[in-house]
Amino acid sequence: MSGAYAQIFRALSSEISLAVVAMGVLTLDLVVGRKRDLGARRQLVGAVTLIGLALAAVPLVWQVGLTNVPLMGETLAVNPLTVIFKFVLIVLTALTVLISVDHDIGTHVGEYFAMLLFGAIGMLLLVGSEELLTIFVALELTSISLFVLTAFHKNSLRSQEAALKYFLFGAISSAFLLFGLSYIYGLTGATHLRDIGTALAGKGTNPLLAVGLLCVLVGLGFKVAMVPFHLWAPDAYEGAPTPVTAFIATGSKVASFFVLVKVLMIGFAGAAGSAYWGAFSSGWAMVLGITAAASMLLGNCAAIVQTNVKRLLAYSSIAHAGYILIGLVAATSTGATAVLFYVIVYALTNLGAFGVVAALSARAGGGDLEHFNGMAKRAPFLSLLMLVFILSLAGVPPLGGFFGKFYLFAAAVERDAQNFGLLWLVVLGILMSAVSLYYYLILLKHFYVMPAKDETRIATPGHVNMALAICAVGVIILGVFPEPIVALLKTLVIGL
Amino acid sequence: MNELVKQQWLIPFLPLVAAAVQSLLPRKARKLSAGICLTAMGASCVLALRAFVGTLGHHEAERAVWNFVWFDYGTTRLQLGFILDPMTAAMALMVTFVGFWIFVNATGYMSDDENFTRFFCFLSLFAAAMLGLVVANNLLMLFMCWELVGLCSYLLIGFWYFKPSAATAMKKAFITTRIGDVGFFLGILMLSWQAGTLNLYDGGNGALEQAGKLAGLHGWFGWSMATTIAVLLFIGAMGKSAQFPLHVWLPDAMEGPTPVSALIHAATMVAAGVFMVGRMFALFTAGGSAEHPTFAMDMVLWVGCFTALFSATIAVGQFDIKRALAYSTCSQLGFMMMALGAGGLVPGQFHLLTHAFFKALLFLGSGCVIIGTHHEQDMRKMGGLRKYMPITFWCYLIGMLALAGVPPFAGFFSKDEVLLVTFQRSKVAWGLATFAAFLTAFYMTRQMFMVFAGKWRGGHHEPHEVRWNMWLPIAVLSVFAIGLGFFGGKYEHYLGVHEEELHGKSLVMGLSVAVGAAGILLGWLMYGRKTMAHAEEPDPLEVKLGALFTCLNRKWYVDEFYDATIIRATMLLGEFWRVFDNRVIDGILHGIAWTAWGVSQVVRWVGDEFVINGGFDAGCEGVRLTGREFAKLQTGRIQGYLRILCLGAVILLVIWYLK
Repeated sequence: MSGAYAQIFRALSSEISLAVVAMGVLTLDLVVGRKRDLGARRQLVGAVTLIGLALAAVPLVWQVGLTNVPLMGETLAVNPLTVIFKFVLIVLTALTVLISVDHDIGTHVGEYFAMLLFGAIGMLLLVGSEELLTIFVALELTSISLFVLTAFHKNSLRSQEAALKYFLFGAISSAFLLFGLSYIYGLTGATHLRDIGTALAGKGTNPLLAVGLLCVLVGLGFKVAMVPFHLWAPDAYEGAPTPVTAFIATGSKVASFFVLVKVLMIGFAGAAGSAYWGAFSSGWAMVLGITAAASMLLGNCAAIVQTNVKRLLAYSSIAHAGYILIGLVAATSTGATAVLFYVIVYALTNLGAFGVVAALSARAGGGDLEHFNGMAKRAPFLSLLMLVFILSLAGVPPLGGFFGKFYLFAAAVERDAQNFGLLWLVVLGILMSAVSLYYYLILLKHFYVMPAKDETRIATPGHVNMALAICAVGVIILGVFPEPIVALLKTLVIGL
Repeated sequence: MNELVKQQWLIPFLPLVAAAVQSLLPRKARKLSAGICLTAMGASCVLALRAFVGTLGHHEAERAVWNFVWFDYGTTRLQLGFILDPMTAAMALMVTFVGFWIFVNATGYMSDDENFTRFFCFLSLFAAAMLGLVVANNLLMLFMCWELVGLCSYLLIGFWYFKPSAATAMKKAFITTRIGDVGFFLGILMLSWQAGTLNLYDGGNGALEQAGKLAGLHGWFGWSMATTIAVLLFIGAMGKSAQFPLHVWLPDAMEGPTPVSALIHAATMVAAGVFMVGRMFALFTAGGSAEHPTFAMDMVLWVGCFTALFSATIAVGQFDIKRALAYSTCSQLGFMMMALGAGGLVPGQFHLLTHAFFKALLFLGSGCVIIGTHHEQDMRKMGGLRKYMPITFWCYLIGMLALAGVPPFAGFFSKDEVLLVTFQRSKVAWGLATFAAFLTAFYMTRQMFMVFAGKWRGGHHEPHEVRWNMWLPIAVLSVFAIGLGFFGGKYEHYLGVHEEELHGKSLVMGLSVAVGAAGILLGWLMYGRKTMAHAEEPDPLEVKLGALFTCLNRKWYVDEFYDATIIRATMLLGEFWRVFDNRVIDGILHGIAWTAWGVSQVVRWVGDEFVINGGFDAGCEGVRLTGREFAKLQTGRIQGYLRILCLGAVILLVIWYLK
């Protein structure tokens, strides 16, 4: 028995330490925080949270050497890929904490940081789990923390609205997901992904499987905000406190895409079908091919007419979900590698972009495009970083976004290369990237070209600048020198 | 050496970091900016020196390379790499050393400029790109750096962009070199296609190591593939190294600040073309022999020879101190190319090195003159500066003697070797080059007398000597302009090339000394015996030559010819396409744009107006009125959302079953 506990402890040491820190943060704020003013409280609690995150990263170092250790009857897995993604998630959480310290999050400071940590625990569990129920629980833990965080602007109706919408949408999606899981269990008698994979191997399509799998895709599609399960995203992104938006758009997406890749590639490898032009055949690849196309079309077109920066970025993130899905549609290890590489780049980029918006909008008087007029003069450093992030989102070399897209598209072209079966998705992706340049450049035009009404300098705190600069450097390094991480991910994905 | 090559990347990396840091500095941080720039360059110089020392012990032409994968996709593998061999080490050392002293000089030359930090940022970026070009073991990386130095050149020529002439000159330089780069790029593509790699050396699989194989394949116009590629690469070198007929940008580039002219347009970047031809020498020579050289080699020889003579004649007729030097640079680059074309890798590269020192010296000296005379560049309005600027005078004199090829200065040795190797290949080319050498000595003497002799003709402001940070660099460079020539023999040995004994050595050397002396003598006769008294006085040569002198002064009307032909044709074509664009393309584009706009409006209407604005924004308005209405609208909106969610799921399910 003690051996089993030791195993659990080993697999979950990061999550356990995060939970302890979350409790500690709550207590700390309750005991010593109340007497201080809000800014000092945020700094104190934020600093403790950061230390906690750093501590949680330490056990990952022990796990580096481990390869594919199935734990608790294969419910949780520790392998180099999970170590990498847990580390990425901890870094993303830490960067979110850094930009939150500066942000007005009301009087419930301890709760805010504790909820961030709970959300992070859910994401780490998502990355580690290989069993459907655990995945469901982890997904719920993540989602519920994010619902609460979205509502954290207690005095803002928009924030409340957004949280309620997000919650209701999430609840229905969870219902779908659970419903789908029950069908799959009924069909295969298993909840472990690998067992499901074995049970389904060699069997043809089955109506029950179709319903089950589609419902699972609805549940996960909600998390990654793909069309038509995206409707919550623009509202939630706009209404939530901006650091929370950054967290939803990055940490949650990374974990969700990771689990999507894992579920589909391990559990349902046999039910992929195809999305080849003119040769559609039923399966998740076909469904994702359609949703990818719809996401790219709708996300990019709707982003053009937005006037609010967060809303614009929300639609852009829907479009990016579409690009990422192209890699999944390819249903190869190359495609999966491309997806995983892209989500890392995408998360760093978007965290940075939302971070800049968070840091500047409060001081510029609002989050509409006009409020950012002439920012290049008012806040030159953050504007420069924004330039890097936006160009990376637009896919301009040599930034990370370019190579991310390149790998995604290349993976799709490589699949069924004789007939160019997936070329239609790539062509659409490239066309839509061109469309996206329009609104990205408009955003930059507001930063760099349009004159500001008020030319006073905006000073931003050093830790925010540092956090955003880290994102920018990451984006540049992943763009200039993507090979090491891509090669690493590729070997690990093949071993998945 | 194998260990040292792994640190080659540091040499360009340090200036690159410096440029990045400088780009973020505020305008006021002048000292800090210059300090960072000089520190990075100094450190790179130390690294280059270490690499140089590391190559000294090896007597054979030995090289170490270090290649690594940049990124990898499927069967496509892009590699980059660094190289360390004697030619690289010597070039890197020259660039960092000369560059460092030019930077020092620039701190003085630019001391009044308000964009001081921007200037040094560009200089650092240039140094990084130039050094990257030198240490690259990969044609792709070389090409990227090649374009980067072009960009820096563009930015620095137009540094005073508010001057219309500078703005025109920067565009001219960029576009003219770009014409050459098209050829270069085609060459790279063909090489990549034929050799399957762009690594120059790669343990037997590198592009250059396959030169023999490429020489056996058929290319264009009945040439071998190696020759075809070499010719295309050489077109790039012609643009970069200002060879006829792509030389027109270099004199105009003198609109930039003088340290830029010294660094980029005399010592380093313009020599990149020569360096590249030297680097790719195996391709140029592949398939040919001393008796039957390849077409590529002949092309290099004759383009170089013609440029050497042609530019020298123009230099004779110039009044602007920097333009005269610019044409002299073209001419000297022609000498280097000619040597390479005659098969003399060592003389070509050696002349590149010595020339970098004394031409940088002359340009910096002219910068001192310009500062000392309060921004005067017209030599007719100078005179008598020897008295006012003694240090500058002596240094300039050394540079002039080196360029004129007077023994024992550096230029004598290297130019002598160039002439000697050309003599082996073609007597005609040798004769023309010797005449160019005579002109060189003549125009430099003319310049010396016009600037430094006689009495001051520039009006009320008396010239003054420059500050130490301006004269110290030229003093240092003078030492090398005197002493570097003695290492010619050693350099050949160092490069590991053993050339056969050349005949006609005494004849060539004797003639070379004789024409040098004759040029100086003629210069003294025309300009030294009786110096100009007034700025308005006609040039003695103008009196003698008449219309021919005007022709020289107007640079043989090449610019006018280009204006009347290529530029006008381009303009007409541009006009045609503008009309075509407005009428035809725009019509199509507008159609597409309207369609896209329509789609986005529909999406907005369905997605935003109907679902969100209809529910949410109007809901928010309602919220302010009554809470009850809020609740009502809220419910309606969420239903709309969830309806779409379920509808979506059902549609996907239907599609699933249909297929």
